[in-house]
Amino acid sequence: MIKITDLEKFYRTEEVETIALNKLSMEVGTGEFVAIMGPSGCGKSTLLNILGMLDDPDEGSYMFNSIEVAHFNERKRADLRKHNIGFVFQSFNLIDELTVFENVELPLIYTGVPSAERVKRVEEVLDKMQIMHRRNHYPQQLSGGQQQRVAIARAVVNKPKLILADEPTGNLDSSNGNDVMELLTDLNEQGTTIIMVTHSEHDARYSHRIIRLLDGQTVMENIMI
Amino acid sequence: MIKNYIKIAFRNLWRHKSFSLINIIGLAVGMAAFMLIVMYVSFELSYDNFHEKRDQIYRLNVDIKSSPTETMKLAVGSAPMGPALKADFPEILESTRMFGDGMLVKINNQLFQENSVFYADPSIFKVFSLQMIKGDPNNALKDPYSMVMTESAAKKYFGSDNPIGKTILVENKYPSTVTGIIKDIPTNSQLKCDMLYSVSTLEKMNPGRLEQWGNFGNFTYLLLAKGTNVAQLQAKFPAFLKRHISEKDRKNGEDYALFIEPLKDAYMDTREWAGETGSMSNVRIFSVIALFILIIAAINFINLTTARAVERAKEVGIRKVIGAIRHQLTTQFLGESIIICLISFVFAVGLVALLLPMFNQLAGKEICSSIFSHGYIFILLLISLLIGVAAGTYPALTLSGFKPIVVLKGRFSTSTKGTLLRKGLVVFQFTISIVLIVGTLIVYNQLSYMRNQPLGFEKDQMLTLNFGGDETVHKSFEEIKSEFKSIPTVLSATVSSGVPGVGNPNAHSKIENKEGTMQPTNINMYDVDYDFISTYGIKIVAGRAFSPSFATDSTKAIVINEAAAKSLGYTSPNQAIGKKFSQWGREGQIVGVMKDFHYRSLQTNIDPLNFRVNPSNTWGFTLKISAQNIPATIAAIQNKWKVLIPQRPFDYSFVDDAFNKQYATEDRFGKLFMYFSVLAIFISCLGLLGLASYSTLQRTREIGIRKVMGASIFGIVNMLSKEFLLLVIIAAVIAFPLAWLGMHKWLQDFAYRIDIGWWVFAVAGLLSLMIAISTVSFQAIKAALMNPVKSLRSE
Repeated sequence: MIKITDLEKFYRTEEVETIALNKLSMEVGTGEFVAIMGPSGCGKSTLLNILGMLDDPDEGSYMFNSIEVAHFNERKRADLRKHNIGFVFQSFNLIDELTVFENVELPLIYTGVPSAERVKRVEEVLDKMQIMHRRNHYPQQLSGGQQQRVAIARAVVNKPKLILADEPTGNLDSSNGNDVMELLTDLNEQGTTIIMVTHSEHDARYSHRIIRLLDGQTVMENIMI
Repeated sequence: MIKNYIKIAFRNLWRHKSFSLINIIGLAVGMAAFMLIVMYVSFELSYDNFHEKRDQIYRLNVDIKSSPTETMKLAVGSAPMGPALKADFPEILESTRMFGDGMLVKINNQLFQENSVFYADPSIFKVFSLQMIKGDPNNALKDPYSMVMTESAAKKYFGSDNPIGKTILVENKYPSTVTGIIKDIPTNSQLKCDMLYSVSTLEKMNPGRLEQWGNFGNFTYLLLAKGTNVAQLQAKFPAFLKRHISEKDRKNGEDYALFIEPLKDAYMDTREWAGETGSMSNVRIFSVIALFILIIAAINFINLTTARAVERAKEVGIRKVIGAIRHQLTTQFLGESIIICLISFVFAVGLVALLLPMFNQLAGKEICSSIFSHGYIFILLLISLLIGVAAGTYPALTLSGFKPIVVLKGRFSTSTKGTLLRKGLVVFQFTISIVLIVGTLIVYNQLSYMRNQPLGFEKDQMLTLNFGGDETVHKSFEEIKSEFKSIPTVLSATVSSGVPGVGNPNAHSKIENKEGTMQPTNINMYDVDYDFISTYGIKIVAGRAFSPSFATDSTKAIVINEAAAKSLGYTSPNQAIGKKFSQWGREGQIVGVMKDFHYRSLQTNIDPLNFRVNPSNTWGFTLKISAQNIPATIAAIQNKWKVLIPQRPFDYSFVDDAFNKQYATEDRFGKLFMYFSVLAIFISCLGLLGLASYSTLQRTREIGIRKVMGASIFGIVNMLSKEFLLLVIIAAVIAFPLAWLGMHKWLQDFAYRIDIGWWVFAVAGLLSLMIAISTVSFQAIKAALMNPVKSLRSE
């Protein structure tokens, strides 16, 4: 599904040039669950942003489903993204002014799903995430675990092929964290490819494969059994 | 999608109530003020727009050049001009004349002084769109002593009776017949009057009046054929005058030129004797103020929205991650700003509806009866949409341009560019506000200067009684005067053709100048009796005042003012004494020179003036009364009036009131100027309040840290206030020269004017600083008093 080759990304200020990704190459197959680990500043988030087409690389190739997307313009990226990729963040990133239902509904609005269909799909996914009873609450009225479940619901409502999760349990206690990991595992078992950035070895063990980054390069890959 | 946007917009508005309120109030007040000014300006520009043939109607203007240095620019012509022009030039389809007058009317044995009458040609109905309700427009003004009334005049005099065919006694001796009723003439017309009297009546009352080429006093309107070349027509006027004016008259030194002016320009032209006129410069000033107020309000909107960008940034990031593209977000934010503007629109409509009656009163005329008339509400709606788009575009573009990864990672902070822009806009707002404050101070100063300047004559406790030039009064005016004087509190009495501040005729005269030649002049003139100069306390600087002990004074003497002596070339008033004059059939000598006094408003220079003794051409008494118990004195005078002049209504006024009425326009201007300045500064302060509270909010953490480190409350208030006060100071530095230039120009319209003192700027600067300090420090003190533990935790 994903093949990146010699990917480079620099951050420049007036005086310093920092290399975030240094000729990085990797592949992720359909249906895989990959964890990306590494110390702060190693380029994990940069990689995830590029994979999620929120940022573009300076050099190298990024094939998504055999399409070269490295230099797509914003419009094309947004289009590809909204149909194929779901995001889960450490800080949930729900819109405070919208209810649980409306937050989850948002991606469907942007992909132009008709209203009746939206209600059906949102209810379906809320049910699955066991958060249906909170559908009319606002994010501030929910616990952290509940908020992350809403965020995951939002990420999957469009039935994306790929979920990118950026430290999804980072703001949660261990019990809520485990729940979230179980949810991701279930999704993966149903065929969704998952790439997750994490600091937690515990969480990483849910994945099939761990890619360890240091200074923008792959230093090690572990295959989980 | 749209539903989602609207939902978000309303929830956002509700969640940030104070910001929304500031935004909405600022915009609503700004839009309401703008709308009121638009109404005022469009009213002023709409004068006589309602005539169907307005594009073909022209007013005849005359420039009279009586000496090489003296030109009178009149909005009136003389009686024979109109018909002669029509007869000579086929492109002139119609001409109609209007002679303004006041008259005593007696209806059902009741007396009324009717001061708004025009003697008019029957063609008035062919030229102007005056709607006849009853009667025949072709014949109504044909016969002598026929009269057409407006609907309200008819109602006033005849109630619900049908007035057609009824008889009215004019000036106690001319039975006249009502032949027509017209709809009331709209307020925005220079032709406003209550009654039209046939011109043929004037000829009967005053035979030969319509043949006097040199007697200027009537409006002449011409209806030109479509497509007439006005310049070519005007070029033929000199030859026309040569054909019609006798050799003798031309030798007399009167040299005049005719011009025609489109009806649409007539109201804004300030020619003499034009009746009610407008002021294009006021219209311009108010248009600019309106625009500025709107801009100030729109700036608030931009500032508050971009200042809040940080809060919206996260939402932008999420939406982008989920799949929104930039233009969808731009549309969303633009939509939000339009929604705010539409809410403001609703409030603005309410405000206008609420303020309109007061505004009409302030303007001194009904400029508009309702916001729902003339499609004003659509203009306002359009404007609010425009503001929504114009003011919403910048924030929308900024917000939608955020990079999702930056904002979602919390690495986002307001850019220095944005902060600089906001500061620049605040400076702009305060610059305008300070200019307006300075302007208000100067306008008020000039008004009070004009009111309090010594006028050179007694104006207090001077009661004028108008007897309308009644001949029976002329016959016994001395007896009536002594009857009035028998009231102990009446100190002195006189009769005259005019009083200061009310207007007077110009007399074409010739007076011997320094070179010994008879210099032609159109001098201002009062007909008076022997007591006028002493009653008004006018000082004689050379020669003497009129006196009954000189038999020739009643026919062969004039007293001129210093300005007249100067215009004749005399370096000292004494040189003018004994010099010859000829004026309206009289010849004789100058017997005295009086000190210049302000017989007109201080806007104009003191022009040459002369008095002559001619009680049989006077219009009113002036009684100097004691300051004690004025009501009793007036009652006593009224009792005498009823016995002595029963044929006339008792119609009195005070000279100082009448004089100050000349400043009514300036008064209104000053008031409007002040109100709109207050509004401008109010809206600017709203914006400042919003920005200050926002900036304070953003610095909560900093304030907490500073307090933990030992900063005092004063120190923090000082820190927070300083950056905004600096902006106001910068604004003042920019505003002062602008205000000086503008007001210097405005003052040029006044012959007697104040100097712009430095203190005006000091007061305006301090005032705006104080207002800004109180606005900002309220927020700053609140932040400084906050418990640091709390403010640190809130991060």
